[in-house]
Amino acid sequence: MNRRKFISAVGTGTMIAVAGCSVENSDDGGEQSTSDGDDTNTTDNGTTETGGEELPEDEGNELVVATYAPFIDAPSTSPGAWLKEEFESRFDAEITYQTPSGELNHYIEQQNAGQEIEADVYVGLTTDGLVRADNNATEQLFVRDLDVAGLETVKDGLDFDPEGRAIPFDTGYISLVYDSTRMEAPETFDGLLEEEYRGDLIAQDPASSETGRAFLLHTIHEYGEDGYLEYWENLQDNDVRVLGSWSDAYASWSEGEAPMVVSYSTDQVFADMEGQDLAKHQIRFLNDQGYANPEGVGIFANTDTPNLAREFIEFLLEPDVQGEIAQRNVSFPATDNAELPADYAELAQEPPEPVTFSYDELQGSVDGWVEDWERQFAGN
Amino acid sequence: MSSTRSERTLRDRVERRILAVFGLITVGLLVGMFYYPVGTVFIEAIVVEGTATVSVFLDILRDPFYFGEFARLFAGEWPGWDLVRPGRNMGLVEFTAYQAVLSTLASLALGLPLAYLLARFEFRGRKTLRSLTILPFVLPSIMVAVGFVATFGSNGTVNEVLGLFGLGGIDTTGTLGIIIVAHAFYNAPLVARIVAASWETVDASAVETARSLGAGPFRAFRDVVAPQLYPAVLMSAALTFVFTFGTFPIVLALGDLSLATIEVWVNRLVGRLNYAEAAGLAIVELAISLSILYAYLRYEAKQSSQARGVRPLPRKSLRPTSRSPGELLPRTGLVAYSLIALVVFVAPILSMIYASLTGPTGFTLDHFQFLIERQTGGADFQVQPWPAIRNSLVFGFAALLVALPMGVTVAVLTTRKYRGRKLVDAVTMAPLAVSGIIVGLGLLRGLVFGVEIAGYRIFVGGAIAIIAAHAVAGYPFVVRTVAPGLEQLDRQLLESARSLGASRARALMDIELPLVWPGVIAGAAFAFAISIGEFSATIILAEGANQYTMPIAIERFIGRRLGPATAMGVVLLVVTSVSFVVIERLGGGYRGL
Repeated sequence: MNRRKFISAVGTGTMIAVAGCSVENSDDGGEQSTSDGDDTNTTDNGTTETGGEELPEDEGNELVVATYAPFIDAPSTSPGAWLKEEFESRFDAEITYQTPSGELNHYIEQQNAGQEIEADVYVGLTTDGLVRADNNATEQLFVRDLDVAGLETVKDGLDFDPEGRAIPFDTGYISLVYDSTRMEAPETFDGLLEEEYRGDLIAQDPASSETGRAFLLHTIHEYGEDGYLEYWENLQDNDVRVLGSWSDAYASWSEGEAPMVVSYSTDQVFADMEGQDLAKHQIRFLNDQGYANPEGVGIFANTDTPNLAREFIEFLLEPDVQGEIAQRNVSFPATDNAELPADYAELAQEPPEPVTFSYDELQGSVDGWVEDWERQFAGN
Repeated sequence: MSSTRSERTLRDRVERRILAVFGLITVGLLVGMFYYPVGTVFIEAIVVEGTATVSVFLDILRDPFYFGEFARLFAGEWPGWDLVRPGRNMGLVEFTAYQAVLSTLASLALGLPLAYLLARFEFRGRKTLRSLTILPFVLPSIMVAVGFVATFGSNGTVNEVLGLFGLGGIDTTGTLGIIIVAHAFYNAPLVARIVAASWETVDASAVETARSLGAGPFRAFRDVVAPQLYPAVLMSAALTFVFTFGTFPIVLALGDLSLATIEVWVNRLVGRLNYAEAAGLAIVELAISLSILYAYLRYEAKQSSQARGVRPLPRKSLRPTSRSPGELLPRTGLVAYSLIALVVFVAPILSMIYASLTGPTGFTLDHFQFLIERQTGGADFQVQPWPAIRNSLVFGFAALLVALPMGVTVAVLTTRKYRGRKLVDAVTMAPLAVSGIIVGLGLLRGLVFGVEIAGYRIFVGGAIAIIAAHAVAGYPFVVRTVAPGLEQLDRQLLESARSLGASRARALMDIELPLVWPGVIAGAAFAFAISIGEFSATIILAEGANQYTMPIAIERFIGRRLGPATAMGVVLLVVTSVSFVVIERLGGGYRGL
């Protein structure tokens, strides 16, 4: 209906390339956005959609998949191209990727601007992202109470959204990576405070990296909201460095600026791929714990291909696809029946005890925690 | 069809109107691509839930985290000596200004000797060196971080050399010091270019007169040359302050979050969708930057007109002609300077190139191989090297062609005498001073998501919009490198041309611009550099991977290993170096410079 017309006018018209702008009668747009509730499933009067049989017909067979850029375009390996090819060969469908630089914020912003969202699914939802969307989006961004085939295979503890909008499709664990030819990493968080580890750790800014955020949340998990600030005060006294992005930090660590860095527990998979000395890429799970960062996929509330979107999620949960995503995204499957090479676990290490905060624990708290922390850390 | 006569009258009419037309186009571009988008964000700090309020600003001003001891002052309390006590809580804003002042001093210290070398000496490769000075300006922060860690890091070149002499290592990474040096790396070339352009138009006859009246070379420099250079020195200092005051990614790439600046905070507030506070903080940032620029402009306007460029000072040979101290001292100084420049400018760039050619097992061409594989085998939704190079060049030259007339027009309009013109000038400089993060967000909200006018929603995006955004970002450089020259031109020249019947545009083209040509070329090179280095507006306005530019490709190629990204960075270095040389040769050839 209108939406496709709208997209072709905005997205691809040669008019834009020539004139740099395009015009659309916004009466159409206005009606569309108010009529969203009719053909999607999240109106406030409680008509939540749960089964495929109630879904309206799809319009066309193009599935617009929104995700973060490295999912489709990383220099080493990324699952995007394989997923597109495989999905298109199994279904009568065409995947188009969208990777706006603002990631999820882009769509929150777009919805709040009253503009129609072109994407059908979002790949890469996190607990934090959902909390942020719920706190800021004027309307429900994603379809609730998704019930897809394969959901029962998702591992306990990874299902992070109590409202059933985000279906986990993979997870990572945040750990320390250290160079064992230079030192032996401490085994506990408290150990990091010892004099012998002064200046030895590089972490990341929680505002600009997933790993930095997970590491901060892990310390809150460990010391509680009353104790983590004091822990960080001591850590800062012991010369921890907090750089911006994960790659800033990892690059600095690779150059030998410090022997330990906060990173992913799959580090050895890459090191092995590149023929590096694994002794320089040792994993340490502090307190035998690793902070889990599950990633989910959700369907945008105003999708015009609800059936295809559902098929895509079910496809992501297939055992063979789960194995491919894990290997290509260098992460861990979200399901318990994924098909992975037997030796995958040798290099991709899982923590003895995964920990994470649930949506309910983060909702209402996470912004305050992070803000208190950054004001303390950057106060000068 | 048309006779010569009617052609001529048409030309006359076009010439007469052309300034007005360019003026209108400039205003249109500024409003559409800058003030309106930025306004959609700034309004968040002023109108909260439908009511106009100053509470957002009051909260920021009274927050000790932002304003340190000054917050007490703004809250109505008198902090007394605490305002200046060493070791006081500086607050984010004061710290940002503090590091910007230090960075500006460092940039002047490293930039002025280079200006001296470029303007006063003749040597092989001088023009090429001058063309390449702006190179650091286009480098993405990740490249600078790679180069700096490899040069100044704990295992870096500098420490290795110090080790050879049995000297203890220096710990630089994570310190304010390395950030200041990195800021100087970016901005000293700016100082050098602007001051050199001014130096090259100092008229030789005034110096000769001073010398003939018995002034020594030093005295002649102090009394005749230096006063003509102060405006350029102060302007480059003001610009450097503004840029380093708004510094962002390099702080967290090389330093530490404890060295956070205002822009780092604007970025996290935007990421958290706290637009009111983000906009409020960005307005505070803008107000401080614009007052610095305005103070400079007031100073610039007070400068008396001086003869310019009629006959530039002759360049000297680098080889001393005698053994007199007057010949030897400056050259010895330049030798010492070039040693420092090798460490600060050349070593980091060489380290970037080295990083692109090495892997875990030593020398490798794998990273360039990666670029070729991406080009030949990458999916169409992935960023590819060749389209990125092509787009960068197309956008860069197109933005240059738009920014030049825009900048010259604004320079002409703001050097006319009328009340408040320096205020207008300062406002048109705003694209230099507004937080880049806010501009990006504004472009997204105001243009990409569409603006509703009379029942129609207008969407702006794509190649033309990118060029317009780049031109708007780069044109202030043209204004700043052209306006001082115009300001100082002898008004009589213009008046006699006008009285002989030349239109305003004709007089500008034939009389004024040729006299300030080095400034025009420097401005053009900067406008091009701004376009080449631009990231945030481009990625927001691009409609797909086929409109991405080299900095976006570099960002996408950053992975666990930086090889592929540095390889793309070296491509950027080579492509922009060639472009700079071409721009200056074409521009210089026109005037025989």
